[in-house]
Amino acid sequence: MIKSFKNNLKIFFLYSKFSWKTTFQMRLGVIFFMLGKIFRFVLFFFLIYLIFMRAKMVAGYTINQAIIFYLTFNIIDTASQVFFREVYRFRPLVTSGNFDLVLLKPFHPFLRVLIGGVDFLDVFMLIPYIIITFYLAVHIAGVSPSSLFLYFLLLCNALVIAMTFHIMVLALGILTTEVDHTILIYRDLTTLGRFPLEIYREPIRGLFTFIIPIGIMMSFPPYALFNILSWRLLIYSILASCILLFISLKLWDSALKKYQSWGG
Amino acid sequence: MIKVKNLTKYYKTPVKKNFISDLFFREYKNIKALNHVSFEIGDSELVGFIGPNGAGKTTTMKILAGILYPTSGQVRVLGFTPFEKNKDFLKQISFVMGSRNQLIWDLPATDTFLLNKEVYNIPEKGYKKMIDELSSLLNCRALLGKPVKTLSLGERMKMELIAALLHKPRLVFFDEPTIGLDIFSQETIRDFIKRYQKEFGSTVILTSHYMEDVKSLAKRLLIINKGKILYDGSLNKILEKYSHQKKVTVVLDKPVNETEIRAVGKPLDATSTHITYMIDKIDLPEKVRLITKSLPFSDLTVEDETIEEIIKNFFKEET
Repeated sequence: MIKSFKNNLKIFFLYSKFSWKTTFQMRLGVIFFMLGKIFRFVLFFFLIYLIFMRAKMVAGYTINQAIIFYLTFNIIDTASQVFFREVYRFRPLVTSGNFDLVLLKPFHPFLRVLIGGVDFLDVFMLIPYIIITFYLAVHIAGVSPSSLFLYFLLLCNALVIAMTFHIMVLALGILTTEVDHTILIYRDLTTLGRFPLEIYREPIRGLFTFIIPIGIMMSFPPYALFNILSWRLLIYSILASCILLFISLKLWDSALKKYQSWGG
Repeated sequence: MIKVKNLTKYYKTPVKKNFISDLFFREYKNIKALNHVSFEIGDSELVGFIGPNGAGKTTTMKILAGILYPTSGQVRVLGFTPFEKNKDFLKQISFVMGSRNQLIWDLPATDTFLLNKEVYNIPEKGYKKMIDELSSLLNCRALLGKPVKTLSLGERMKMELIAALLHKPRLVFFDEPTIGLDIFSQETIRDFIKRYQKEFGSTVILTSHYMEDVKSLAKRLLIINKGKILYDGSLNKILEKYSHQKKVTVVLDKPVNETEIRAVGKPLDATSTHITYMIDKIDLPEKVRLITKSLPFSDLTVEDETIEEIIKNFFKEET
């Protein structure tokens, strides 16, 4: 078990190393990509600042708390892109038939098609997000080590939910060869989680909490940090991610059985 | 090594009707890709698996390798059920597809080799030895450090072969390994497969539309069409049974007229210096006697039909 885990970890690091080498072959592309990301991030900060110039509180949150909501969204969104970037390249793998060769390897296909292409450009963005979040968190009144721990736990839980969505996209990719639009729908939906759930009215808020768990992913971690998340919702969020994980793995298994190996 | 019994595979395909039906009430039909296929393959055999496009060759091999899930039937390969994807099973097989690639496009092939070294837990010493051996067999040492995207198709195929065989698989599937290659590269790959199989004793299943590949490599032949095995036996037997004619080429001393040419038989091709006849085996002695008697020739050659023609004869008679 431990030997197998170690071996998988080695393969993961090798894939990541090759992803790094491949990315940095296009240096000009790297520069433009980073500039675009930084520009988008700064622009949104500016937007928050403009909003709080007119009102001291928005949906009951101070500016620092609102920034934490936004940073939390960015941490989860960026981390899922760091780890699951390879999902965006899954369609050509299936339509070319090269996915066959992944299925022939003596490791779980997720090692290649889910986490086999770590995006290092997003790693560079992730580090400042984490530093700023930590800095702001310790300056908010009432934040304790236990709430920080719960925040971290729910960040991990959000990443598990993000992973289940990506697994479902992969399964759909096998069944329909459609990946690009599905992943864009997922991205658009998660973008709605940049703001606290309170800005949405019912039934949208309920929908984002209990049907499409964007609220669980993006808003619950800051709630835990601000000590406003009930134990009932905390347990519910972990249960929801377990159920989603189970469903996504079943969907993946079923898709593999129906895989037709396109392209002759 | 391989036991297949009543293997059946259906593919589900949509039935085209009209726009509204296709969108909301799409119907599907099952296409039978394999129909109760049964055969066995022993250790260290090199089997040629041939048939026209869409006959079921690749589907069979993909089921044997665990890529596809069979609809029904029993499949045991190396003591495993392939689709269960047991790691110990996957470590003992390899699949080389002429039209697919596992190499990392932007990086040198050595990076993919390194990856496979970890994937298959190949010890450092064995890894280096294998790279040396395979690259010298393929005469491609100079290509190892070049980015894959800069290699030609033939060169890339050599790298694919090394990547696929580094872990010394007990069972290797070659699915049209020479497709798209020039005649020199085809020969190199053929020689390589032959030598590799001899040296490592692996079981090899080969499909190819180039009959020369099959002829020079396989002793046993499996012929499949419309999902059914039509022939399972020795290559020589099929060559004997379905080779009805011989190709006779006459090099003339001086030009002859049409009547003299046709006195022997209807020629396949005739110029002022060469005449080619396809003559039934049974008539060969008499026709050769006639040629030597009636035509002024400087050279006369008798050849077997090409394997392509023989296989064509087989399909004409058996389907």
